[in-house]
Amino acid sequence: MAALKHFLLRAFITLLFLAVPVLGVWTFVEAKDWHLWFPETISSYGGDIDWLFYVILWMVTVTFIATELLLVWFVFRYSRRDATRATYTHGNHTLEMVWTAIPAVLLIVVAFSQMRAWTEVKIHFPDQGPYTVQKPLMEIYASQFDWRVRYPDAQGNFEGPDVIEVPYDITVPVDTQVVFRLKSRDVLHSFFVPVFRLKQDAVPGMAIPVWFEAKKTGDYDLICAELCGWGHYKMAGRIHILPKDQFDTWLAAKRAALYATE
Amino acid sequence: MIERRHRRAAFLAAAALSSTACSFQPGAPELHYSLNRAEVEKNQQLADDPIAQTKLEGALQMMFGTPKAPGFLVLPEWSGDKFDPNYWGEDHVHADAAAWSALVESNRAHFRTQLAALREGRFDALDRPRFADDLWERWLRKRERIAKDGPDAKGDDGTLREDAIRDFEEYYPTLANSAAFYRNQCYHCHGTDGGGNGTTGPWLNPHPRDYRRGIFKFTALKGKARPRPEDLFRTLAEGIYTTAMPSFRRFSDAQLHGLADYVRLLAIRGETEILLESFYDPDKGFDFDVLKENYSDVVGRWREASEHYIAFEGKIPEMTAERIAHGRSLFSTPGEKGGANCVSCHGPAGRGDGPSVWAPGKEGVEYAKDDWGNQIQPRDLTRGVFRFGRRPIDLYRRIYAGINGTPMPEHFGMTITEDGKQRTMNESDIWDLVFFVRSLGSQTEVASAGGAGHEGGAR
Repeated sequence: MAALKHFLLRAFITLLFLAVPVLGVWTFVEAKDWHLWFPETISSYGGDIDWLFYVILWMVTVTFIATELLLVWFVFRYSRRDATRATYTHGNHTLEMVWTAIPAVLLIVVAFSQMRAWTEVKIHFPDQGPYTVQKPLMEIYASQFDWRVRYPDAQGNFEGPDVIEVPYDITVPVDTQVVFRLKSRDVLHSFFVPVFRLKQDAVPGMAIPVWFEAKKTGDYDLICAELCGWGHYKMAGRIHILPKDQFDTWLAAKRAALYATE
Repeated sequence: MIERRHRRAAFLAAAALSSTACSFQPGAPELHYSLNRAEVEKNQQLADDPIAQTKLEGALQMMFGTPKAPGFLVLPEWSGDKFDPNYWGEDHVHADAAAWSALVESNRAHFRTQLAALREGRFDALDRPRFADDLWERWLRKRERIAKDGPDAKGDDGTLREDAIRDFEEYYPTLANSAAFYRNQCYHCHGTDGGGNGTTGPWLNPHPRDYRRGIFKFTALKGKARPRPEDLFRTLAEGIYTTAMPSFRRFSDAQLHGLADYVRLLAIRGETEILLESFYDPDKGFDFDVLKENYSDVVGRWREASEHYIAFEGKIPEMTAERIAHGRSLFSTPGEKGGANCVSCHGPAGRGDGPSVWAPGKEGVEYAKDDWGNQIQPRDLTRGVFRFGRRPIDLYRRIYAGINGTPMPEHFGMTITEDGKQRTMNESDIWDLVFFVRSLGSQTEVASAGGAGHEGGAR
């Protein structure tokens, strides 16, 4: 009777531990249906970022499942029993070498495989297209608590009476390498466009170059990803992606509207 | 192992924590409009009479409702010209074809998932939109009818489905709905009564606007007029740059128009209240004639706002070096020498550091204050940041009519002396000032030649 009770307790605790990997994996399998997964990717480099994410996710998944199952097995197999005595072990040199070497190799793989994406997004800025670091399409100003975009005047100046300032709506052309300068007027903010897989901090006093190429037209969310004060929650914007010719018309209309008199 | 006495301490701490957690009841506080204390204190007879104050609260509630159920009292004489302030904004937007079609377009974008579901007949798949409870309740009633009679049964104006689509496309929030929306988005700075005294208010510089005087800084109007619905809408949509007032473009046009309507209710309520408080006479009390007179005066002021619009017909003149130089001369010549006197507040280089905004007082420096009692900060014109728009026409209107509630005066018609002759400032002079101000923030050759100083101008 006591043995049965003991077995049931062991089984119960084992199942409890087993629930962790089962629920963990299940969350990921179901995430898409619960609308918890990534939004679509519409930037040129979004696929690379996602690929890196999946590489790491699979590494972690395999490790997670293996270690969890091992843990569950140990919980079941080596739970306290009256008849057995604990043994003392000095450890196993080979085993320790293996479990140090494998993660080291994995980390080196991760470190090297991300370099290309990192250089592409953050270091090598487009220099062939219409917009470059020297001649960006726009400047985006973050301030407590909204986003404002500034387009240069017809001569390409970002200062002066004829620059165009628009709150909230950041309008850009599709299929174009868009370079812009990110600035902050007050504190740290972070420019985060989930569909681009792009996140860049805005730092007061710095004009940080950022680039993306949108592959699809439409309206997408821009949010602030750095807690910037009491109104952080309301610091939203919209990326409004237009076909190239429509973008040119839009910009020309904005320039003309500057001199409207209504 | 934890020692026994420690264990007891830990137990007590846990008990204390859990008891505070249990006693915390987050329920929403009772909402009500309060009297404007500062104004009550100004009238000693009212300040000493709590019964009269209660009567005043009741009278205001009769005229403007409560935060949960706001609404204007409709005076009989308004029925003649079909004016109902409860539908003020909606009627106004409806009358302007461009604004109405922008509103419908914006609703179509805002409710696109709901409209797609309606068109495809997925009536149970509609998501409840945020901050549109009035619309949702209307839809729920319609859904019941659709479930009973089918979507193609005859509704009020077409089939039930067409009616429902129109409800979403032509959505315009009620005052009660906008009040709830206001409490979600505006309340924590502007306060329940619109007194600029929300919980975040004291920590902001500049302070959030106190609507209760009916004075709004940024309008396209002259003569210190009350703002038009468009003016309030624009402030909501564009925000006021370099202040804590953000752009609310992420909401639909209808929602912003609704907020403007509610802000107008708060402002009219506040202004009526101040009038009733300052002219309180114990012999007359708050009888209906007194209330009606003040109330219809205030509403009248808001109704006639559009008559004060500063229209500018034709094309904006060319910005030339001569015009900028003339603007510079008007700007930098002090009032006593017959100039426009801008230099006295905005400083010789336009940096907002002129001598008139502060004076040595008994206890150190005393700064000039605006109508709300906040310290004046003249705009630094060299930064190119203009709070209510950087278009030439925006600057033109700022200079033309001044800024309500601040010492920035109306310039149109101001007397100036040039070449020994006295005359009044005209539109052309104002444009010259606009061009000079616009040149200050830029690196164009015209502006940098000789700096913006008093002496360096190309006269």
